Amino acid sequence: MAESKKMYLNMGPHHPATHGVLRIELELEGETIVNATPRIGYLHRGIEKLAESRNYQQIIPLTDRLDYASASANNMGYCVTVEKLMGIEVPKRAQYLRVIMAELARIMGHHLWIGTHALDIGAMSVVFYAFRDREMIMDINEEISGYRLTPTFFRIGGVAHDATPKFIEMVRDFVKWFPKGLDGYHKLLTENKIWTTRTMDIGTISADEAVNYGFTGPSLRGSGVAYDLRKAFPYSSYDDFDFQIPVGDKGDVYDRYLVRMEEFSQSLKIIDQAIENLPEGPVNVENPWISNPDLDEVQKDISALIRRFMIHAKGFAAPEAEVYQAVEGAKGELGFYLVGDGSEHPYRLKIRSPCFYLASALPRLMVGHMVADAIAIIGSIDVVLGEIDR
Amino acid sequence: MSMVRLTIDGSEVEVPEGTTILKAAEKAGIRIPTLCYHKRLPPIESCNMCIVEIEGEKEPVNSCAAPVSNGLVVTTDSKALHEQRTANLKKILKHHPLDCPICDRAGECELQDIVYELGIEDVPYEPRKVKRDDTYSTSLIRYWADRCIMCGRCVTACRDIKQIGAIEIQGEEENARIVVDPDKCKSCGECLMVCPTGALTENLSRYKGRPWLVKRVQTTCTYCGCGCQFELNVLDNRVIGVTTDVDTGVNQGSLCVKGRFGYEFIGDESRLKKPLIKENGALREASWEEALDTVAEKFKAIRDQHGPDNIAGLTSAKCTNEENFLFQKFMRAVIGTNNVDHCARL
Repeated sequence: MAESKKMYLNMGPHHPATHGVLRIELELEGETIVNATPRIGYLHRGIEKLAESRNYQQIIPLTDRLDYASASANNMGYCVTVEKLMGIEVPKRAQYLRVIMAELARIMGHHLWIGTHALDIGAMSVVFYAFRDREMIMDINEEISGYRLTPTFFRIGGVAHDATPKFIEMVRDFVKWFPKGLDGYHKLLTENKIWTTRTMDIGTISADEAVNYGFTGPSLRGSGVAYDLRKAFPYSSYDDFDFQIPVGDKGDVYDRYLVRMEEFSQSLKIIDQAIENLPEGPVNVENPWISNPDLDEVQKDISALIRRFMIHAKGFAAPEAEVYQAVEGAKGELGFYLVGDGSEHPYRLKIRSPCFYLASALPRLMVGHMVADAIAIIGSIDVVLGEIDR
Repeated sequence: MSMVRLTIDGSEVEVPEGTTILKAAEKAGIRIPTLCYHKRLPPIESCNMCIVEIEGEKEPVNSCAAPVSNGLVVTTDSKALHEQRTANLKKILKHHPLDCPICDRAGECELQDIVYELGIEDVPYEPRKVKRDDTYSTSLIRYWADRCIMCGRCVTACRDIKQIGAIEIQGEEENARIVVDPDKCKSCGECLMVCPTGALTENLSRYKGRPWLVKRVQTTCTYCGCGCQFELNVLDNRVIGVTTDVDTGVNQGSLCVKGRFGYEFIGDESRLKKPLIKENGALREASWEEALDTVAEKFKAIRDQHGPDNIAGLTSAKCTNEENFLFQKFMRAVIGTNNVDHCARL
C-alpha cells in the first residue's frame, strides 16, 4: 500500500468563508483534517494601545470597531465599564434605549452570521433575506445616530440624545415584521435535509470542554450551559425584562444554529418590552463634569460652552482604580478591564474578546472532520476578527 | 524665622510666619480654587474665589492675602463656600462672550479651568449695555475688552514686576476696562503673560494653533546675555509663539519685547540661505567654498598689508557658546588681534 502523504492547506486570510481575515493552516490526510492552526493578527489596529492616548469619550468609536457586526453591544460594554469605574448611575430611559440598541445590534450580528453561515455551506438564498431584514436595523441606526454600521450612539453616562418619534415607530415596525422574516429563515434551513446533514454531529463539543476552552455566548449555550451575563450579572436594567436563555444539548453546529435562531426571537422580545415601557426622563446623567451640554444651551450659556469645550478638548478624569465589567455581546462575554490613573486617559484597557477563545478552540472542533466541514465550523462559532485582533 | 502651626481641613500644617493661608494649604496638599491670584504677583483680591472659613470669624476671608497665625482652624471647602464661589464666578461669567471656539486662549484659559472645576451651570449670556473700547497701546497685543474679567493681574504685573505702571483700570462695574498709556508701555508683554483669559492675545500669531496642538520647546533667548528661559511654541515645524513658565529660569517668566515677540525671523522667507559675494556693486550667490576662500584671501591681504589690528570681529548671541569660543580663538590666534566683541556685552 502506498504511504499516505500529508498535505498542507493554507486557508485564508483572503478566503470568503473565514469571515474576515482569519487564516487557518490545515494539515490534511486526504480530505480529513489532522491538525488545524489558527493564525490571527491580520486585522490588528492596536485599539487597546490607542485607548491609552485618548480620553474616555474618544474611545467609544474605537469600541464600535471591535465586533463591527454588532457595534452597539460593544459600546454598551465599554460604557458600563467606565461608569462602574467612575460610579455613575445612568438614568432609566437611557438604560432602556441602550438595551434596545444593544439587542438590535445582537440581531444585526446574527443576521450577518445566518446569512454568511448558510452561504458558506451552500444555501445561497438565506443571505438575501437576512440582509433585507438587517437593512431595516441599519436604517434604524441611521435614524438615531446618522451612522448605519457603527452608530457610536452611547455616551459615558447615557446616550447621545433622546429617541426620535420616528425611531420608536421604526423599531415598532421592525418588531412587528421580523417574526415573519425569521419564519422564512426557519423554512429555508431548519428542516432542510442538506442543512441538517451538513451541520448535525459536526464540530461537537461537550459542556465541560466548552467551559474549559473559555466558550461564552451562543456557542457555549449550544453545548447546554445556560450561562448568559444578562441573567447571571444583570446590567443596564436587563433584570426588568422577561426573556429566556435558549440552550442546546449536543453542542454541534446544528445546536449552535438553533440557539442563535431562538436568540433572534428572545432579543426581539426584549426590544418589544423596552420600547413599549420606555420610561420618561433624561437620557444622560446630570453631572456637570461628565455629561455634554446640549448644543442649544451651548449657544447661549457661557458655562455650558466652557464645559462642553473642556469635556471635548480635555476630557474628564477618572479615579485611580481598576475595574472589570463584562456584558453579553453578540458572540459571548465581552469584558473590559480598565485601569484609571486619575488622568483623562486610561492607564490600560484590556478587552476580553469572546471570539478569541472561540477561535482558539478551532483545532479541537475541526480535527477529524472533512475540509468542507471546517467551513461549517468556522461559521457556527461566528468569529469576527475585528474583535480577536483588536 | 519662627514657625506657625495651624489646621487646614483637619490636617496640621507648620509653616513660617507671614505665609498666606493659600500657600500653607498648598504645602498641605490641599487645593483652593483661585482666579486672580498669580504666583509672582502680590494678592489682588478681585475675584473672591479663594475664600476660606476661619473658625471664630463670621465672614470668609481671601486665603491669598490672609496670613497664618498660631492655632488657626481653616475650612477650605463647605457648602456655603461653594455656593459663594459659584455666585462670585457667575457674576464674572455673566457678560463673558461665547468666544471659546474662536479664542486663542481656549484650552489653557484659567477661567475655563475654574468653571469646569467648580462645575458651574446655568449662566445665560447677557451682552453688555455699553460696548467697551478695545484699543491697546501696542499692535503686538490685541485687547478683547468683552472677554476681560477685570481681575487686575495685568495692572499689578505692569506696576510691580516691570515697575512701569502703564496700565490702569478705568470706569466702574460694567463699564470698567483697562487703559494703557502708550507713552509708558514698552510692549514687553508682561500683561499678556499674566492674563488668565483670552482678553489679551498675541497679535502676531492669532488663530494659528490651539495650545494643545503646539509642541513647547524650552530654550534660551538669543537676543542678549541675560539668558532668559522661554518655550518656543512649534506647530508643523514653524514657531508660532513664545510662552514662559514662571518657575523656570532667572527671568521667572518675564521677557522683554524682543524675547516675547521677536521670533518671526526664525521662519522668515527673506533669511539668507546662501553666501553672497559683491561683484561690481551687485550681489551674487556663491558656494561656501568660494565665499570662504574670498574672505580668507582678503583677510590675509589686509593683515599682511595693514597689520592684524586693522581687523575687528563682532560676534552674535545667536551663536552657541562653542561657536563664540572658536570665533575669539580665530581672531586671536589666526588673525592675531584682540579686537573681539560680542553683542551680549552691550
